[in-house]
Amino acid sequence: MARARVEQQPAATGTTLVVLVGLSVAFLLFMAFLNVVKTGNLLNESNLLYAALIFYAGAGALYLGFGVTGTESYVRFASLATWAGMLANTGAVAHRWYEAGHPPFASIYEMLLSFVWTLAVLTLIAEKKYGVKVIGTVTMPVAIVGVILMQLLRTEVHPLVPALQSTWLHVHVTLAMLAYAACALSFALAMMFLIQDKMKTETFLAATSAFGIATYLGVLTRFEKWGGLSVVAWDPERKAEVFLAKGARLFVVIPDLGWLMLMVLAAVAAPLVLYLVSRWKHAEGLIDVANRVVFVSILMQILALVFFLLRARDGSYASLDADGLFPTSLAASPFILSGLVGSIFVSLLYLLLLWRRQDLERMLPSAEDLDRITYKTIAIAFPLLTLMIAAGAYWANRTWGSYWSWDPKETWAAITWLVYAGYLHMRITRGWRGRRAAYFAILGFVVVMFTFFGVTYLLPGLHAYA
Amino acid sequence: MAGTLRTAGRSIWQTLSSIKTGVILLIIVVIVSAAGTLILQRPVTDADEMQRAYSPEMLRLLDAIGLTDTFHAWWFVLLLALVSLSIVAASIQRFPNAWRFYARPYKSPDESFRKMLATQTQIAIADERAGLATAERAFRHLGLKPERVTKNDRVSLFAERSRISVMAVYIVHASLLLIFLGGIVDALYGWRGFVALTRGQQSGQVQMHDGSGRTLPFAIRCDGAGQENYADGSPKKWWSKLAVLDGGQEVLRKEIVVNDPLVYRGVRFYQASYGSTGKVDKLVLTVSPANGQGDPGEIALSENDPVQLDSDTSVRLAEFIPDYVVRDGQVYSRSTEVENPAAHLIVTSKTTGKATNVWLPPIPGFEQNADSPYRFEAKDLRMGYFTGLEVSHEPGQWAVWAGVILMGFGLAVVFYVVHMRFWAVPVVDARGHLTLWVGGAANKNKEAFEERFQKLVGEIEAELKLRIQASARVQEEEPSLVGV
Repeated sequence: MARARVEQQPAATGTTLVVLVGLSVAFLLFMAFLNVVKTGNLLNESNLLYAALIFYAGAGALYLGFGVTGTESYVRFASLATWAGMLANTGAVAHRWYEAGHPPFASIYEMLLSFVWTLAVLTLIAEKKYGVKVIGTVTMPVAIVGVILMQLLRTEVHPLVPALQSTWLHVHVTLAMLAYAACALSFALAMMFLIQDKMKTETFLAATSAFGIATYLGVLTRFEKWGGLSVVAWDPERKAEVFLAKGARLFVVIPDLGWLMLMVLAAVAAPLVLYLVSRWKHAEGLIDVANRVVFVSILMQILALVFFLLRARDGSYASLDADGLFPTSLAASPFILSGLVGSIFVSLLYLLLLWRRQDLERMLPSAEDLDRITYKTIAIAFPLLTLMIAAGAYWANRTWGSYWSWDPKETWAAITWLVYAGYLHMRITRGWRGRRAAYFAILGFVVVMFTFFGVTYLLPGLHAYA
Repeated sequence: MAGTLRTAGRSIWQTLSSIKTGVILLIIVVIVSAAGTLILQRPVTDADEMQRAYSPEMLRLLDAIGLTDTFHAWWFVLLLALVSLSIVAASIQRFPNAWRFYARPYKSPDESFRKMLATQTQIAIADERAGLATAERAFRHLGLKPERVTKNDRVSLFAERSRISVMAVYIVHASLLLIFLGGIVDALYGWRGFVALTRGQQSGQVQMHDGSGRTLPFAIRCDGAGQENYADGSPKKWWSKLAVLDGGQEVLRKEIVVNDPLVYRGVRFYQASYGSTGKVDKLVLTVSPANGQGDPGEIALSENDPVQLDSDTSVRLAEFIPDYVVRDGQVYSRSTEVENPAAHLIVTSKTTGKATNVWLPPIPGFEQNADSPYRFEAKDLRMGYFTGLEVSHEPGQWAVWAGVILMGFGLAVVFYVVHMRFWAVPVVDARGHLTLWVGGAANKNKEAFEERFQKLVGEIEAELKLRIQASARVQEEEPSLVGV
């Protein structure tokens, strides 16, 4: 129905959204400028980051606008907005670097800052050099989530503990950010290859649902007795997590939120179940039902996000490990938050595909080109991963006297490396092209994400700062 | 019998060297490593926590199959050894072909090769020698070094660049083996331990991580250690001044900090920790006679090191409690942090043998401060600090670093250096015209190669056209000259 409505629109109304987005960007910048005039402080980091957020959000809106209306000029303006956002982001990185006196890689905040920057740069490169114009549809939402997360996390410059005062650390983390951003890009490209390779839309439905299930299962590892959800306690004065003992964070339980998450899990899992049943019974009609359920699940997910934001933003809750009430904050649960937001974005991207598949296909390079560019990005990512691991090992050797100690992060970095090594071997010696290679690229990125977020969140180890 | 043995050997070899085996082994390594990060591991997690996390039967099972110390289990080491073997076997099996290709480049294309080649074209030429000379110039223009090859009376041109690209994959595999080799050497001959030293102390004994001790052939002495803080109180820097004593001689001095170890005879000392020993280095007291006669003086006490106050009386620090609390008629220390310190002094008279307990601060029920011939007042307290040094010996690490550098180089070549080959040979085509056959091949990045090939062809054609025009002009001009 949405498609039918949209197709009747004449192309001339295409400028409406550009004007609207332009006006709101101008308005937000003007408001920010008033604030700047008041404080007399123009080029500080939070202003620059704010500008970057506005531009990235503008770009994201334009890409989604393209998705809804199919107007091609939006993509051009979105690209311009990405440029502007990247410039503001560069300023924020430079400011941070100057202020801290070390490259911005010491805390998760600084690493997100660098990661978003790298992602924006690579998006622009993919656009300009390889003509993948709509790549921002996938990468811009990631950048927006990154910048919003940064606003929540602490921003003051923290002194480096002795173990982190090393050039090798900076080399290690720079390489990691570059490699991970290249992996993210190869993932986006592989996805686009699958679209261009006429993969069935319902297969994407199943994948979307599977992603949602993984996210909510991850969140529900914090499910507590009587339906609570445990989050880390937060000390508002020190702006840091509360620790019971070294390495043991204090958790507080937000009551009833666990039940809500469980219900959302059921909602996001339903499309996958319906898909499997339709495959099994050959009942095509179920797919339509499943698509409607995706709609419902998005609403449920937004509900869960809102409740989480309201309850975890501030407020004090009881803990199972200590007496009394302890405050918590959104900053204490960056991973839950990014999981919830990320899952919503993935569902929205699925809707985009469902409604706008033909326009997307028109805007993308050919399947062969996408396949080749995916390989090229991995050919960049793999040496970077190798050097990242090597620099990390060298740093560990200078700091702890051991270049390899099998801690979870190290092991998972090695696993990531092996997965991509497997991809390269299959491609070069077995001539794997197309779908199988794309699946491999997607698997590689899933492992990267687990190494980046999952290991920090779920598994303990030496990399406590990252 | 010998025959079956040989076939068995060959089939083992073939299995080992196949890519399939390699990939299956890698998948097993991935699964096992992932399991090793999900299951709590033994030396890192303490025994209590393990027992809390798993049921006794489960723990017994995990221990039995070695999953509680996955990365040091014999079967994991065996798995890595198999992976290495598979890499070696696969490389050896493919190497001769690659080497032949590398050592004896295919220079003059024969007819079947010319038919098979994907990238080729034919350009009409007037005569062989001129055509080849033109092609040679065009090759040079593009930065190639053409070589004239004569085979079976047929002259052809051959040029290539970056032949090393063909061998790069072996460089990468060799580098991986070098890294494994370093790891194995360290697993067999390397060790790790810990030494804690207070200022002035020297030691050649290392406490190994597995609980045993190890004596170094030299000793290490701490000449000082300290901590610097940021303004907000978090630690900024730990340092230790160390000296190495070998054969009674001081041979090396260095101030080490975190990230900058001291190395002597392959043994590395890392700044790992710094902390209070919970013991007193110096307790400075003002002493004044109880009867009020005589001037107050100042003494510095260390634990169990008596100080003479006058010819008869001496005082010693019997006990120092950093964080005291009185419970059940006893004095306890709650922690080793200096939070609520108390000092127990014993004042002894030589002639009477009478010992008086003096407590600072006076703890009722313990102190006999009033009986002491001297009054004491604490002025300054300096605690003893130790510096914790991580000690390691890793003779294999040089192989690891060499392997890493080699791998970086190898990967760069594998991915970014393209082996390109170009041939040009005059042939007579099917219709009997004399043409210059030009062909090319590249092992990767086909688009960039294609572009380069088109440029080469374009260059040759342009040069040929110039020649034809030039000769045509000469032909045109001649009659006109005659005409005049």
